[in-house]
Amino acid sequence: MTSVNHRWPRWLRPGWGWLSLPALLLGWIVVASRFPAYVLPPPWDVAAEGWRWLQQGKLGEQLWASLGRELAGFVAATIAAMAVGTLAGLYKGFRDFVTPLNGLFMAIPPVAWAPLTLIIFGIGNLAIIVVIFIAAVFPMTTTIQEGVAAIQIGAIRAARTLGANRRQLLWHVYLPASLPALTAALRIGFSQAWRALVAAEMIGASRGIGWMVAMGGQVGNSAQVLLGIALIGVMAWLAESLLFRRLDQHYQAWRPS
Amino acid sequence: MLPAQPKAPMPTLAAAQPSQFAVENVDFAYPGHAVFRGLSLRAQPGEFLVLLGPSGCGKTTLLNLLAGFMAPASGRVLLDDSPVRPEHPALGYVFQSPQLFPWLSALENVRFGLRMAGRGSEAEQRALAIEHLALVGLADAADKLPHQLSGGMQQRVALARTLALQPGVLLMDEPFAALDAITRIKLNEETLRIWSQLRQTVVFITHDIDEALFLADRILVLAPAPGGIAAEFDIALPRPRAAATRQLAQFAHYRQQVSACIADLQLQPLAA
Repeated sequence: MTSVNHRWPRWLRPGWGWLSLPALLLGWIVVASRFPAYVLPPPWDVAAEGWRWLQQGKLGEQLWASLGRELAGFVAATIAAMAVGTLAGLYKGFRDFVTPLNGLFMAIPPVAWAPLTLIIFGIGNLAIIVVIFIAAVFPMTTTIQEGVAAIQIGAIRAARTLGANRRQLLWHVYLPASLPALTAALRIGFSQAWRALVAAEMIGASRGIGWMVAMGGQVGNSAQVLLGIALIGVMAWLAESLLFRRLDQHYQAWRPS
Repeated sequence: MLPAQPKAPMPTLAAAQPSQFAVENVDFAYPGHAVFRGLSLRAQPGEFLVLLGPSGCGKTTLLNLLAGFMAPASGRVLLDDSPVRPEHPALGYVFQSPQLFPWLSALENVRFGLRMAGRGSEAEQRALAIEHLALVGLADAADKLPHQLSGGMQQRVALARTLALQPGVLLMDEPFAALDAITRIKLNEETLRIWSQLRQTVVFITHDIDEALFLADRILVLAPAPGGIAAEFDIALPRPRAAATRQLAQFAHYRQQVSACIADLQLQPLAA
């Protein structure tokens, strides 16, 4: 045991971090007090709006619609990125071929594809899922590819002199050695997918958090827009801090720096 | 101390049969640049052979050939009369840097080869791994991850990992070159202590004359590329060797001879 035992987990311990959210709310209240509530509503109006959506049973519907699309696009992107990223990491020729394409597609904001996917697939979930896929797959591929390519030739040789055959090399060396890159890729991919999801829903959906924000804007309901924005932030924060950051930190201990 | 408990029979800490290792008339070249021409050498079973190479003689290439990572253009490298390959069960290789698997504890690193070979039950593998960690003086570090260990400790874990497979020949590629002088001298003594216990054949590559003299039964001096063996020295220093060995007049005498030989080589490289 190296570190001192604390009674509280790190994230519960007192620190400046605890002030940031109250400061944000305070700033919001101060600014909102200078505007009419229908232009910039204060936090409690947004909370009331959230309560109204909840009571009408419409909030869960939006959340599930968004989460379902996010998951579908993200899982598909993860599978594709693992396949392409691993091959590109292992074979230099393929890596040289894939890298410029990756760079090109990463330079294009994913939501720019939304009008095209709507034309091709029609209005509906699939068009949005394809945009999410595009948003996540390229940064994930790059991250996995670099992770696999960075596996030291020395570790492979050591494993061979210790008697590992080809299958054992893949399973006992390549896989564990690329886990840090994989968890980093999941983290990046999920957040990229989430951003693209909201943007795509604003353009071409009839449900979901992005649609909620866009509709709020069209009918002039600022509270609904802010409610949507708050939900987008909270969901991203939950996924990041409860799942991906922990997964990532698990591998920090031995990650090559 | 705990009261003695009935113990399962422990796997034994022993060398496999020491191997014979031979390089026969090997040529090797990179495009436009010959590295070895007609290189031959032979390590007798149980011998501690040191290959002493001044810089630029192709030490790394030689080790790659000896372990079968690269194939010679012509000639053969034989381990117990069969062509060498990295996966050969009698071949043990200690790399210049430890090359431990960073996601495995010291114990699991040492167990790796046994696991790959499926040798024994998990409990037996762990017991054997602990025993080899104890052999290099690191039984206490069994549960540590490599990054929690110093460079010298990592290299000792790497040595234990290689020894756990009980290789007949141990190829050591400047294993202590990256360590500080004090650690290095200590690990030289440890290497000899372990070798005197296990007695496998050792082929040890270094560019350090004192290290070579301290360890070797026999030193082969490598000629600069394109070359082979430039000179051979039998080192008849008494064993067991210890710090005092370095103070012997005989040691100084050998050092003078070997140094002079290397100085000559660097002044007049062999004609291409």
